[in-house]
Amino acid sequence: MKVPYSWIKEFVDIDKSAEEVVEKLNETGLEATVETFGEYIPNIITVKVLSVKKHPEKDRLYICEATDGNKTYQIITGADNVKKDSIVLLAQIGADIKGITIKERKFGSYTSEGMFLSLEELGLADNADGVWLLPPDTPVGVDGSKLLGLGEEKLIEIDITPNRGDALNVKGLAREIGAIFNIKRKEKKTDIKILNRLIPNISLETDKCYRYRGIVINNVEIKPSSLEVQLKLIKSGQKPINNVVDITNYILLQEGQPLHAFDLDKIEGKITVRNAKDGEKFLALDGNEYSLKSDDIVIADENGVIALGGIIGGETTKVDENTKNILLEAANFDYISIRKTSKRLAITTESSYRFERGIDVESLPEAENKAVEMILDLAGNNSEVMGEKDIYLYPYQPKEIKVRERTVKRIIGIDIPKEEIADILNRLEIPTETIEDGTVSKIPAFRSLDLTREIDLVEEVGRLKGFNEIEESFPSIPINTDKNISYYKFENRTRDFFIDNGINEVITYSFVGERIYKSLNLPLPDIEITNHLTTDFRFMRDNLAVSLIQVQKENLRHQIKDIAVFEIGEVFFNDFEEIRIGILLRGDFIKGFNFKKNKIFFTTKEKWSFLEVKGLIESYLKLLGITDFELKHSEKTYLNQYESAEIFVRGFNVGYFGKIHPEVAEKVEIHKDTYIGELKLKYVSRKLKENALKDGYLYTYFKLKDTPTFKDLPKYPSVKRDLAFEVDDTVSVEEIFKELGNSSKLIEKISLFDIYYLDENRKSIAVSVDFRDREKSLSDEEINREVESIVKKLKEKIKGLKLRG
Amino acid sequence: MGLKEDLLKLKEEAKKLIEEAKDKNSLDKIKVKFLGKKGEIKQVLKSLGKLSPEERKDIGKVANRIKEEIEGLLKDKLAYIKRIELERELRENRIDITLPSHWIETGHQHLITKTLQEVVDIFISMGFSVAEGPEIEREDYNFDMLNIPKDHPARDMQDTFFINKDGYVLRTHTSPVQIRTMLTEKPPIAIVAPGRVYRKDMDPTHTPMFHQIEGLLVDRNITYRDLKGTLQKFLQEVFGKDTRIRLRPSYFPFTEPSFEVDISCSMCDGEGCRVCKGAGWLEILGSGMVDPNVFEAVGINPEEYSGFAFGLGVERIVMLKYRIPDIRLFYYGDMRFIKQF
Repeated sequence: MKVPYSWIKEFVDIDKSAEEVVEKLNETGLEATVETFGEYIPNIITVKVLSVKKHPEKDRLYICEATDGNKTYQIITGADNVKKDSIVLLAQIGADIKGITIKERKFGSYTSEGMFLSLEELGLADNADGVWLLPPDTPVGVDGSKLLGLGEEKLIEIDITPNRGDALNVKGLAREIGAIFNIKRKEKKTDIKILNRLIPNISLETDKCYRYRGIVINNVEIKPSSLEVQLKLIKSGQKPINNVVDITNYILLQEGQPLHAFDLDKIEGKITVRNAKDGEKFLALDGNEYSLKSDDIVIADENGVIALGGIIGGETTKVDENTKNILLEAANFDYISIRKTSKRLAITTESSYRFERGIDVESLPEAENKAVEMILDLAGNNSEVMGEKDIYLYPYQPKEIKVRERTVKRIIGIDIPKEEIADILNRLEIPTETIEDGTVSKIPAFRSLDLTREIDLVEEVGRLKGFNEIEESFPSIPINTDKNISYYKFENRTRDFFIDNGINEVITYSFVGERIYKSLNLPLPDIEITNHLTTDFRFMRDNLAVSLIQVQKENLRHQIKDIAVFEIGEVFFNDFEEIRIGILLRGDFIKGFNFKKNKIFFTTKEKWSFLEVKGLIESYLKLLGITDFELKHSEKTYLNQYESAEIFVRGFNVGYFGKIHPEVAEKVEIHKDTYIGELKLKYVSRKLKENALKDGYLYTYFKLKDTPTFKDLPKYPSVKRDLAFEVDDTVSVEEIFKELGNSSKLIEKISLFDIYYLDENRKSIAVSVDFRDREKSLSDEEINREVESIVKKLKEKIKGLKLRG
Repeated sequence: MGLKEDLLKLKEEAKKLIEEAKDKNSLDKIKVKFLGKKGEIKQVLKSLGKLSPEERKDIGKVANRIKEEIEGLLKDKLAYIKRIELERELRENRIDITLPSHWIETGHQHLITKTLQEVVDIFISMGFSVAEGPEIEREDYNFDMLNIPKDHPARDMQDTFFINKDGYVLRTHTSPVQIRTMLTEKPPIAIVAPGRVYRKDMDPTHTPMFHQIEGLLVDRNITYRDLKGTLQKFLQEVFGKDTRIRLRPSYFPFTEPSFEVDISCSMCDGEGCRVCKGAGWLEILGSGMVDPNVFEAVGINPEEYSGFAFGLGVERIVMLKYRIPDIRLFYYGDMRFIKQF
């Protein structure tokens, strides 16, 4: 809400500048900013139009004569709303309007000595129909900029938090400012005469309306508002329409009470305030027809809905230039109903915005009376207030709330005596008295939604006391145990490992779209966002590969072809989540110079391939203390199954890695030598007390790993022997290693030497074996015997194995 | 007479030759020439037989001394030549030390996790622990138990993503971790909870996913002053010792009183500039004293315990600190961006 500071000053005698007031408002909890209204434009003057005639040569142009009291101007205008006796703003020769200097200008054989201005040309509205017609009470021949307050008037804009509906009006702001600066607010009471000649026939048939007051005023003359009213509305960002409508808007801004004026003569019979019928239709003032539900509150006559309670009026009963008699409504509706209806129909009005945040049910009659007073003053020499009906079934009972000095101390941390507490609350117009251990307050209706408990009043005391001035202290925090930090540390160690190995960290959206899943031949994820932003953000991902492929594609767009990235993030399933690390690697990872005689040349040293990726993962697992993992061929739809592996630790799948399937690579347009991997780091439960250390997650194995204990350093030397086995092609290296390892206690280490193919079905696997006996030195003879026994055992285990050489 | 002179002459000759020698090969030849079995010294000594025993003894001594001298000269010269040769060899293999290096280029950490770690580590050093919660969160933990009832305008402050799973939403803040912690642990509680959160919003300053860090301290006698002290210490760690802070009363449903916390603008030191839009202050986080309704929802007696909570947006801090103009840059995975930091 934006209002002129001068308007606020009508309600509180304050001599501070707008800037000082705004600073204090911010410090005490209302987000406020100050700005100057428009910019001073020289050479603008108010003039009265003396005559208007059609331009004899040019279509759609008019030649006007206008006077400033001394001088008469000839003005050519295209606006057709200018009439004889209109008072308008004239930009004289030399005035600067939106960067254009006004000059004498010829239209045919007639010269224009200036330009009549619209609100748009003044920079006060985004669009305007025609010239701005000032009300008849406007003085003629005065400096237009001064009259409007351009470049001079300060506007205060307030952005409230949802609990401070009370500050969404001039009066409420004045109350707040008065409390801050300890100045009493002033208010003039109304004095209107209400006849009993025509009591409106209104009945209340819903429990969602707490008060409904209707007043009938007759012989109202609909015309433009006074200059003062128009200017206040314009400065507050609203467009003047006609006196009655303007006055309802004016009171809404000033008092915070939404009002609605019906054309009484367009209402048919009895008026009912009730819940809508399901499917009931309503044509609103915004020109739209809405279909209503039984939760909506409506005002209806015998023909149907004439207003959507608290939100918007209806087209059929709207006030127009022919209106004579009006029914002025002031009501108080249930804020939850208003909110639901406003959200469902997507209509937000000044009125609904205020109802949702709560309005003052007690000052409703006074606010409405102010409107009546203004209508009588501005719209009716012959008007009379014919009658009123005020339905207020359950009058407001102020809640009593105690504030203990002890609570203030316990929460704010300083002693504030009860007398000071009472003083602060009374300044806020919350009637408060002291009692033995504190104070007791009667909460006024304008704060009834916000102030419901002792703590709420403690906050009021603190903010007016000035939280900022209160000195800080430092709490004594209990020493933390490592239990909760350890996953954090584990994740940091993981991140550091991959970064140190040259891989870059990325963070991508957890959202994914259907397209990428289709390309990867994957079934759609479990979790779908029902109100997603775009189709690419429709699901919560259940793997990281989809996200990383998109990162690769993004970089390819920038011709970045070598890429090594990882992300640590969650993936989502119906009943749980897990934290994974995903990696995507492609291209060169060490480039550099090779030396040859007389030649130094740039070359690729290392390129990501299956064994490099395997090595990376293997050393990460070793870092965690996991050496006993197994690999099995992966059947992931998007991987090349001959060059990819699922990783198992103690029988549980902890992740995978491998080369992208060439068909998928082609489809998503990435390189075919792209490697992708994912490792499951941690199980994330949505239940409160579920053991998160589940099998299949690396953090679990890291956490549960045994502490290694010291073994004596070997006293006797080891002996190396090279062995070559001839086997069928189906036998894997791992099998040989495993069986070798099991075959002798003396084997300390086995390393692969070479593999070569004897023919299509047979291959030779050569290994180098370290033997060591921890008790003695081994003799050649002993080793020969051991080898013999090993080969014998291997032949039993692996069909077709032969020792070569 | 003359044997002694002959020997001395030989020594001078050898000395000269050794001085002139350029390599090991010449030295070997000199060795053979003078000290060999048929070498010149041996030749001289052949005529020794003609001399008296005294003379023989005398000459023998001279011959041995000369032999040793020549051997010594040969050894020194050999060592010298070896050094020279090594030096030449090393120089031949010299490298242009300004050639570009080659090694694995260290990866780059994402600014978000980097900053997140910095913040969490500060709180760990103060004694806080780290807590976690799922990103798909129970609606009641995300809202109701945090004193955000249905149909309250406060729910509008956070545009929620709903999912095909009843009673669950994408968490709109890290605050539900407070609820989870208080439901499972008894005070004293001192936690920070970093993580991703989701809101339906997308423009240069908002992305539908971003990161928050939640903090919660619950114990007997925790006051507003402790909140102010803790946040001041933390913000000075992050933004520098001279940073001033300002707490503006505000509204969050789960704290009462609530505060927006501002820091003095680090660009202009509070003078007002483009970064702080002339205000001299930058809004940095939200905080407050835990609302009694929240305590009641988790079964902690608000008459016995009090506490404070705060939540900060990591992206905002990173953008301020590193002057990043568009929040969306964080999530493209564009290496041209990632590798800048």
